[in-house]
Amino acid sequence: MDLNLIAFWSLSTIAVLSALGVVFFRNIIYAVLSLISTLIAISGLFFNLGAELIGALQILIYAVAIVVFYVLVISTVPKYEGEAIDLKYSLLSTPFAFILFMELAYVSVYGLWVSGTGVFGPAMLNQVSNVKAVATMLFTKYLFPFEVASVILLVAMIGAIVLGKKDIVED
Amino acid sequence: MSVSYEYYLVLSGLLMVIGLIGIIIRKNIIALLISTELMLNSVNIAFVAFDIKLQDVAGQVFVFFILTIAAAEAAIGLGLIMAIYRMKRDVDVTKISELKG
Repeated sequence: MDLNLIAFWSLSTIAVLSALGVVFFRNIIYAVLSLISTLIAISGLFFNLGAELIGALQILIYAVAIVVFYVLVISTVPKYEGEAIDLKYSLLSTPFAFILFMELAYVSVYGLWVSGTGVFGPAMLNQVSNVKAVATMLFTKYLFPFEVASVILLVAMIGAIVLGKKDIVED
Repeated sequence: MSVSYEYYLVLSGLLMVIGLIGIIIRKNIIALLISTELMLNSVNIAFVAFDIKLQDVAGQVFVFFILTIAAAEAAIGLGLIMAIYRMKRDVDVTKISELKG
């Protein structure tokens, strides 16, 4: 059996099981910990697909930076006492989930007939690495969106500072 | 590639549906944000899988942008949660009903 296949099945099993844990754990700390498990499994899947840069960024940004935000807020907000899962909405969620899955399946089947239209085939990626290919694309064709993304991060930073000020809430 | 890309798309769809169910059924507002992160990650998987199939790298560039937006969203969302907590002393979504007409 191929090592690639073993990696895919084990990592995707971990990802789906811990995603279920994120949704169904009553304690929010357990939910965040299984979110970390999901993110690391997804990063392994990126490495398995051959997208090394995205896999490394997934660990660096998601599994470290963003999760630290969540842990910080959870440690500030005291323990949540209400019921974790609203039973009234659990039945309601089934048709919506089914509709969404059908939509995604339609889009995926629609993409079945297109393949290999780009220039970065396996032969090309043997010459230039994946990191170099993504970075070249990022800093030439997508340079303007890259700059806009940095402005969005600046706006988010200022917004978080303003929202976090003590005197924003009057009563 | 020995694993065909359809498997990755099925995994991506499963994670997206799990995230949507989490958003609908949870009542803790932090859990809603965490479920949103799951949905963003499923989109990332679909982008990279289609990238491998189309032999392109544009999708990976977009995954980079999604990571940026996710970081901004986490910062703003958690700042809002802190402001809501200071005002209401609670993080239950059913208790936040100031805008109810």
